[in-house]
Amino acid sequence: MTNTVQDIHMSNATQKKKWQAFLIKLGINQFDDQELDVIEQTIGIYDDDQLVATGSIAGNIIKYVGTCAIGEITKGARFNQLMTVLENRMALLGRFHQFVYTKPLYVQSFEHIGFKLLANSNEGALLEKGSPDVQDFLNTIPKAPQGVQKIGSVVVNANPFTVGHRYLIEKAASENNLVYVFVVNQDVSLFRTDERFELVKQGVKDLKNVVVVAGGDYIISYLTFPSYFITNTQQIINYQTTIDARIFKNIIASALAIQTRYVGSEPLSYTTYLYNQTLVRELKPEIKVIIVPRIAQYNQTEIISARKVRQAIADDDFETWSEIVPETTKNFISQHLAELQMRIRKGQKINGN
Amino acid sequence: MEIKKTAIAGTLESSDVQIMLTQGTDGIVFDLVSDVVKQFDEAIKKTINQVLSEYDVQNVIVKVVDKGALDMVIKARTVAVVQRALDIVDEPKWEVL
Repeated sequence: MTNTVQDIHMSNATQKKKWQAFLIKLGINQFDDQELDVIEQTIGIYDDDQLVATGSIAGNIIKYVGTCAIGEITKGARFNQLMTVLENRMALLGRFHQFVYTKPLYVQSFEHIGFKLLANSNEGALLEKGSPDVQDFLNTIPKAPQGVQKIGSVVVNANPFTVGHRYLIEKAASENNLVYVFVVNQDVSLFRTDERFELVKQGVKDLKNVVVVAGGDYIISYLTFPSYFITNTQQIINYQTTIDARIFKNIIASALAIQTRYVGSEPLSYTTYLYNQTLVRELKPEIKVIIVPRIAQYNQTEIISARKVRQAIADDDFETWSEIVPETTKNFISQHLAELQMRIRKGQKINGN
Repeated sequence: MEIKKTAIAGTLESSDVQIMLTQGTDGIVFDLVSDVVKQFDEAIKKTINQVLSEYDVQNVIVKVVDKGALDMVIKARTVAVVQRALDIVDEPKWEVL
């Protein structure tokens, strides 16, 4: 009985084929390029020459974990051995915070080695381990003073901040004592995360009961809801939005005593439309979802959207974009127009979210 | 002593313990997972606390996944993780060992 740990290289077709066959036997059968391209390391545990356990690292995420009971070591012991190797590899890369997506069936195995459940659904569960975790994230957010009664929330990507976002936040601010505005943290949009965050802050500066917060890993991110940024099937979107909504409801909103979430109605983006539907279904009864009709121009014929701003920037159409952004965003775009257009020319997509 | 960087030591295998230390501000804060937590919760913390105090570490988050480790294993793993977290792996503190 010799158990050895070896790297599996995806560039080696034979190794990849054996690895896939092993996982397929265990019921894992999604091997899209989208999933495989992000893998940095894959390790295998071999009993003599036979693959008996494997796992992969992609950023902070551990994926494609599979173990079998062949040989003299129990499945559980092998799983713990595998996870030790993966966590130590990540520690060497300076990553002490791990996420894992798994089937509900395996939640307990991960909890036994220190993972904590973030959200569960029929299709899968998301867990995390290490530091900084969701509790550390919540600790960075200012809490409402005692006695504040009505607390609302808005989540925006604000790519960039428009008068539409302003309208939504203003409405929330007028109906609540305190409003948390979470800005999506994933840095994959035309406007960089620090730019989007700053424009939201400037754009709501006069609203004294609004707190602008970075959404971290836990609100609409590659982790909770990758389809927000990448096109996907309805089934996958449903699953991801459910996870995202449940984390929001059970962890974030409950810690901050949020009672309401405001969202803009969504006639344009199918993904966001599905997201709104999931929010309505999942957040009740504890959290009320208020869908605010989007404001429009030209006798209600054209709704205001950040996408329209981006398209107008690409088209160098000052008239169009300058009309639907507040002064603060307008100043920023004017000062950075050439750079923004350069980013688009270099391939930054502008037709997504 | 202040924790300089997050560090990890040990394994998740049977009879071992995995310990992670992160900077803290609020004393020594434990997050302990163990199948024998009911019986040995206090004993495990006591061993770790002792090592931490010998290195004069006062503020730290200690995440522990215990797999039934014996006392000396817990002590050895704690020494290893403290040395890493304080960035003094090259200067072992012999009197603690």
